[in-house]
Amino acid sequence: MTFRDRTTNVDALRSWRGDVEADYIYTTGVAGERFFTELRDTGRILAAHCEACERTYLPPRMYCEKCLGPLSDWRPVRGPATVEAVTIASVDAHGNRPPEPEVWAVLRWRGIHGGLVHRLAVPPKQAKPGLKVHPVLRPAGSRVGNITDILYFAP
Amino acid sequence: MRKVACIGAGMTLFRRRLQETPKEMCWEAARMALDQAGLEIGDVDAVVFGSAPDAFDGIHMKGENVLDACGGIGRPYVRVFTGGGTGVFSPIAAYWHVASGLFDCVLVVNEEKMSSCQPHPQSVFGHIWDPILDRPLKPNLVWIFAMEMNRYMTVHNVRYEDVAAVAVKNKRNAVGHPCAQLADPHITVEDVMNSEVMAWPVHRLDISPPSDGASALVVCSEEFARTHRIESPVWFAGVGWNIDTTFWTDRDLYFPEYLANAAKIAYKQARITDPRRQIDFAEPYDPFDYKELHHMEGLGLCKKGEAPRLTREGVTQRDGDLPTCPSGGLLGVGNPIAATMGIKVGELYLQLSGQAGQRQIPHEVRTGVTNAWGDLMQFSSVVVMRA
Ligand SMILES: [Zn+2]
Repeated sequence: MTFRDRTTNVDALRSWRGDVEADYIYTTGVAGERFFTELRDTGRILAAHCEACERTYLPPRMYCEKCLGPLSDWRPVRGPATVEAVTIASVDAHGNRPPEPEVWAVLRWRGIHGGLVHRLAVPPKQAKPGLKVHPVLRPAGSRVGNITDILYFAP
Repeated sequence: MRKVACIGAGMTLFRRRLQETPKEMCWEAARMALDQAGLEIGDVDAVVFGSAPDAFDGIHMKGENVLDACGGIGRPYVRVFTGGGTGVFSPIAAYWHVASGLFDCVLVVNEEKMSSCQPHPQSVFGHIWDPILDRPLKPNLVWIFAMEMNRYMTVHNVRYEDVAAVAVKNKRNAVGHPCAQLADPHITVEDVMNSEVMAWPVHRLDISPPSDGASALVVCSEEFARTHRIESPVWFAGVGWNIDTTFWTDRDLYFPEYLANAAKIAYKQARITDPRRQIDFAEPYDPFDYKELHHMEGLGLCKKGEAPRLTREGVTQRDGDLPTCPSGGLLGVGNPIAATMGIKVGELYLQLSGQAGQRQIPHEVRTGVTNAWGDLMQFSSVVVMRA
């Protein structure tokens, strides 16, 4: 094999800037419509249950991934969520540093297949797996039917 | 199924920015692989191309864009895609092209030009998330890895020093690699631990760098290797792949079940029942240092939670009993996603044919395993090779 060293400074090369223009509209889907409408109107977090597989999915889906049957038995999740894993983010989605590090967590509920990822409103030093937390929602009336209707989770 | 060999490998430098276009990188890697095998493109029956999302290069359907540079014109040509798993998956696709008896000689080319993406390739990862459930939370890709690393360390009570030791080993191993981007003979565990925190527990030096690069392999049948008097073919002994759910909240992040499933398929074919004893070295996929540990466990090279100890005790050093990432890995050589084929299956080929030069494992090695990890962090491809 032969190797040659090369310039790695792109500004010294002939180059041009361009973009891939594209805009999108995403629907929340059949299951998402019901999940977010319930969250907005009653503040409840719904999961979908498959009787045949004895599995309850969160986020809820239109179908069971195990048996591919339709899911029609919807039920709210109960009790606190448990923090399974955490990260303390010092960089945001754009690679910038937020003023304060943000705590994010994987959240699970007893008896539920799946869970949610969301912000945790605890100081970084207290962000530990095993913590029991509850969702804190925007006040009824100001919710829009979006995952950010849940502001964060807190003990 | 027919026996299948790898008979040539090539790769470009891995660098933050290269002048070469995606096509030009593909051509360089393809030319090197053909030269090493002593072949010309006329000897090749079919071409497999591998690359991760189009959005890195910023050319939609880039498989067609690079077609001519890969020698694909007028030949059966196909692009395969399993995200970050493509680096080990496209050689598997080449394997089945030949094992099936359809083709005798296949050229595989993998490429990624991540520096085209502005302001940072990270911006593209913003669009892999579910548009309804995740994106409104404005997630950063590193968070997934951070939470997975946190879960792994929590379950097994792993010390961060033992994770950082993987980054140190791989960046030092990369010193012998002519294509390396981040080789560092003097790096210490303290350097990794003191590097900037990105998303705790992940520090900057726990992460492999985004790179531009391409790599290529020549894969052929036993009969082709014989009639072309190939001196040291290296054989595909087993291949496997497997995928888990895309909902990463549905998985327990402490163990890569998808990899254990993929390895099971490859080991069955390779007649491996005790990987720790029957495998001499490994190139586990290491975009993050903890992932090498995760993957060693998923590959069954040690018990769950045991990989940090093997690392601490030096077992995984190049002269250890089970060398891992003798190439220098993604952490040391660089991470042009699909093009990491050159330091995964490519390194297996070079080590097993005794052509790894400065990086050659000092004792005899006859069997190696490698994996890549990708799609939406829930897929693995596995290849076992024998001298
Ligand atoms: Zn079911």
